[in-house]
Amino acid sequence: MLQAIKPKKRVVFAYLVIPTILFVFAVFVPLVTALVNSFYEWKGGPNKTFNGLTNYNTLIHDPTFWLSFRHNLFLVAVCIIGQIGIAFILVLMINSRLVKLKGIHRTFGFFPSTIAAVSIGFIWTMIYDYKRGIINWFLAAIGRGDLQKVWLNEEKLVMLLVAIPLVWQWIGYYMVIILSAISSIDTEIFEVAELDGANAFQRAIYIVLPLIKNTLLVCITLCIAGNMKAFDNIYVMTSGGPGNASMVMAMYGYNISFNQSNLGYGSTISVGIFVMSLLVIGGSQWIIGLLTKDKEA
Amino acid sequence: MAKKFEMTKVEKNDALTKVKKGVLGVFLNAILIIFSATCIFPLVWMFYSSLKEKRVFNADIIGLPKSPTLLNYKNILSNPDYQLGTSMKNSLVVTACSVFLIVLFGFIVGYILARVRFKLNRVLYVMFLMGMLIPIHSLLVPIYLVFKNTGLSNHWYTLIIPYVAFGLPTAIFLVEGFVKGVPTALEEAAAIDGSSFSRTLFQIIMPICRPIMTTVAIINVFTCWNEFSFALILLKSPKLLTVPLAMTQFTGQFGSDYPKIMAAMLLTMSPIVVLYFTCSKQIIKGMVAGAVKG
Repeated sequence: MLQAIKPKKRVVFAYLVIPTILFVFAVFVPLVTALVNSFYEWKGGPNKTFNGLTNYNTLIHDPTFWLSFRHNLFLVAVCIIGQIGIAFILVLMINSRLVKLKGIHRTFGFFPSTIAAVSIGFIWTMIYDYKRGIINWFLAAIGRGDLQKVWLNEEKLVMLLVAIPLVWQWIGYYMVIILSAISSIDTEIFEVAELDGANAFQRAIYIVLPLIKNTLLVCITLCIAGNMKAFDNIYVMTSGGPGNASMVMAMYGYNISFNQSNLGYGSTISVGIFVMSLLVIGGSQWIIGLLTKDKEA
Repeated sequence: MAKKFEMTKVEKNDALTKVKKGVLGVFLNAILIIFSATCIFPLVWMFYSSLKEKRVFNADIIGLPKSPTLLNYKNILSNPDYQLGTSMKNSLVVTACSVFLIVLFGFIVGYILARVRFKLNRVLYVMFLMGMLIPIHSLLVPIYLVFKNTGLSNHWYTLIIPYVAFGLPTAIFLVEGFVKGVPTALEEAAAIDGSSFSRTLFQIIMPICRPIMTTVAIINVFTCWNEFSFALILLKSPKLLTVPLAMTQFTGQFGSDYPKIMAAMLLTMSPIVVLYFTCSKQIIKGMVAGAVKG
C-alpha cells in the first residue's frame, strides 16, 4: 500500500468503474437472473408463472441431473488418475539422465492443451468413427475385425471414450507444470539420496513426491474445476448420447434450456450446477486442507 | 595375453550395469518418443489426409497420399458460404479486443487494489476473487437471458463482454501479486518529481509489469480463441460466428467428407499452431506461471 501518496478519489473511481460494472454485469447479474427464474415455470414464451419450489423439487428427483452429476465426478476421477498420474510417471522418466530430446517432449506434449476442445472432439470422433476410424482400422489390421464397433454408440463405454480425449489433451500440460516444480528442487538432494543408495523408485516416492506435494494439489484442484464444467467436447462428440449415457451437467442444462426451451427449469439446473460444483470444489479443498494439516502436525 | 580378456568381478558388474542402463535408456526414450508422437500425430495425420481426395481417403485412411492434391483447400477457400474466412476474422477481432482489455483492466485494477488505500478495496478484491471460484458454466443459461433482454447478444462485440469478465479475476490476481513485490520507493520518487498518478501508472509501473502482463495475455489468447460454449449461445448470425462455432456447422454439413473437414480444421487452427510453435518456450512458461499462481 502507498502511504505517502493519496491519489484523488475521483481518479481511482474513474479507473475502477468500467471493469467493475462489466464484471458485475457478466457474472453477478446472470447469477441473480438464474436464481429468480428458477422459481418460475417458463417455456421461453411470454407466459411466466411463479411456481415456488416446484422446479427445485423436480431437480432433486430428476434422475438425469444426478446421472449427469455422477458423470462429471467420473470425469474428475478418470482425469485425476489419468492426467496427473500419467504426467507424474512421464516426469520421472523425463528427468532421467538417460533421456534425450527433453525440449521436444515438452513442446510436443504441451501442444494438445493449446487446441480448442471442439477440435479435439472432432479429431477423436474421427478416430472412433466406424468406417473410417483409426481404432477400427487398427483392429482390422491385427485381424480382430470382429471387435469393431460404432464406438460412441456403446452405452457402457461411452463415458470412458469421451474421457480419453480429455486425458490425452491435458497430460502434457500437467507434465510441464510438475516438471517446472521439480526443476526448482535442489539437485543436491537427489545426489545425496543416490549416494545413500536410494533407487529411482524410492527417490520418486520419498523425495520427489513430498517436495512437489503443493504443486500436485494445485493440479488436482485445476483438474476438478476443469471437469465440473466439461461441455465442449461432449457437445461435439455425443451431445450427451446415446440416450443420456454421456450426459454431463452443463450439457443437460443446455439441452433443457435451448432444445426444449424450458428456460425456467433450465435456470434451476444452472443453480444446481452452481451449487454442486461449488460443493465438490469446496469439499475437495477442505479434504486437501485436512490432509496437509495432518502431515504437518 | 589371455589375462587381458579375463574380467575381474567388478568389471563384470560394471559391464552389467552398463547394459542395464543401456536397456533402460532405450526403454525410457522409446516411451517418451511414443508419447510425443501421439501428441503430434493428429496434426500430422490431418495434414497429409487433407491432401487426399475423399474417395482415396475412404479407401485407405492411414496411408500417405500417392497423388497429393490441394483440391480440398481450394474448395473451402473459394466458397464464401462456408464462412471459414469470416469466422477466422471474427475470432481474431474478438480475441484481440478481449485480450487487450483483459490486460489493460487487469493491470489497472490489480495495481490499484495492491497499492491504493480506500474503503472498498478489500470488498472489490474479494468480489473479483470470487470470479475465479464461480463455476462459469452455471452462467450459460442466465447469461443468454441477460444478453437477450438487454439486446447485447448477436453483435460483433457481444463475446468480448463475457470473455473480459471471465479473464479479469486471474489477471487481477496475478498483477496484484506481482505489484506487491515491487518496492513503493519508485512511485514515491515519481510523485516527489511531480508525476501524476496516471502518468506514474502508465509510464513507470506498466513497463515493470511487462512480464506478468505477457503471462496474462498468453493465457487469454488461447482461452478466447478456443472458447466455444458462450459463443454457442450468444451468437446466431452466421456472419458473426467464431472459429469453433463455424467448425461445428461445417462438420455438420460435411459429416462424411473427412479430408475436407481436416483441411478446414487445419486452416482454422493454423494461427494458433503457428503461434505456439514459434514461441512455445514463452507460451509454456506463461501458461504454467498462470496456472500455478492462479
